[in-house]
Amino acid sequence: MELPILSVSQLIAVVNQTLEFAYPSVIVEGEVASFKVSKGKFVFFDLKDDEGVVNCFMMVYQLRHALEDGMRIKIIAQPRLTPWGRFSLTVREVMPVGEGTIKRAFELLRQKLNKEGLFDPARKRMLPHVPQRIGLIASVESAGYADFLKILDARWGDVLVEVADVQVQGMGAASQIIIAIEHFNQMAELPEVLVIVRGGGSAEDLAVFNDEALVRAIAASRVPTLVGVGHEVDTSLADMAADVRAATPSNAAQLLVPDRHAVTRELDQREQRLYQRLYHQLETVQRLLRNTPEIMLARLESAVVEHKRRIHHAQQLLKQLDPSVVLRRGYALVYLNNKLIKKANDVKTGDLLTITLARAILKAEVTHVSTKK
Amino acid sequence: MSVPKSKPKLQEQLAELDELLAWFDQPDIDLDQALKKFDEGVALAETIKKRLVTFENKVTILKQRFDRPA
Repeated sequence: MELPILSVSQLIAVVNQTLEFAYPSVIVEGEVASFKVSKGKFVFFDLKDDEGVVNCFMMVYQLRHALEDGMRIKIIAQPRLTPWGRFSLTVREVMPVGEGTIKRAFELLRQKLNKEGLFDPARKRMLPHVPQRIGLIASVESAGYADFLKILDARWGDVLVEVADVQVQGMGAASQIIIAIEHFNQMAELPEVLVIVRGGGSAEDLAVFNDEALVRAIAASRVPTLVGVGHEVDTSLADMAADVRAATPSNAAQLLVPDRHAVTRELDQREQRLYQRLYHQLETVQRLLRNTPEIMLARLESAVVEHKRRIHHAQQLLKQLDPSVVLRRGYALVYLNNKLIKKANDVKTGDLLTITLARAILKAEVTHVSTKK
Repeated sequence: MSVPKSKPKLQEQLAELDELLAWFDQPDIDLDQALKKFDEGVALAETIKKRLVTFENKVTILKQRFDRPA
């Protein structure tokens, strides 16, 4: 069989078709070398191990972790032959691998986003006091999801939880979470809070939550965000960009709703306060009632004393006016024909007078009348 | 057809209870009214407590898929 003669560009096209058929996408792990960004748009680097090296190309917007030479990364890419005859991997996604790289990528991106003010405390919004409708972004098969709902149910009821079931680890996870965040933010009626949870995992698993686009999506969410990822010791950039950071998924539920037992205790206290206030009212009235007769009696008594005093005074006065009292002191009343004699003209010599003393009545005749000088 | 009145929110009931409590703080309150408010308050607290024991969260899983092809 005679082989067809191909032009150079035809050869390249055929090779690319074959590559695309055989390897629609590959996941490759290696170390970054010769990393550079061109015109702020294109990213070039080499991926190498001890025995080989391959050129990589990607768009800046697809690079969601900070890269630098020496980092270990995992990429999803499509192999292809460039028009210049070079073998290259067109990279769609990059994930840092290994503790050292993850830490370094985390730190580089943290510095960059911090400079932009993404983690600024002034940006943080309060969560609703007790939300009634929340958007939950999690994998329904994960332990973090189960933990969150378990604590939520134990603490509170009355919450409508709408769940976006997403992948929370591995390649593509960050993109799914971003789409879920956008989905909730586009709802006609927004949920009151967006909760993103994921249980503990390896540094590599949790590196999803250091994805630049995801961190930005969390920071840009119109709906306030609560992120609880990993264990207490884990910190992710997603945590830092969230309005409220929870240490774990269980802690997220604790931060979100009050504890029904605590509220019941609080209600008991309020009832107690009601009793106290009513009791206080009753006591006030009772005190008033108890004291009324005493007050009245006291007033009555003072009135009686006053009256007694007046009566006594009047009696004294009357006593002084009694004529018999005057007679007892030696005075006498002199009558002529039952008429009291007060002056010389009232009598003449020879008249028969009646003289009343305190204890005697005398009859006497006038023998002489003269006027006192 | 009349629209059924929706159950008051728990938060609203708690706020109502606080209002009742605050009522007792005013000076010169009427004893008859105080007794009425007291009964109302206790009944409300008991209703809320009952609700706290029985109410449940509702979980719905969205049908959307979020794995958009890259």
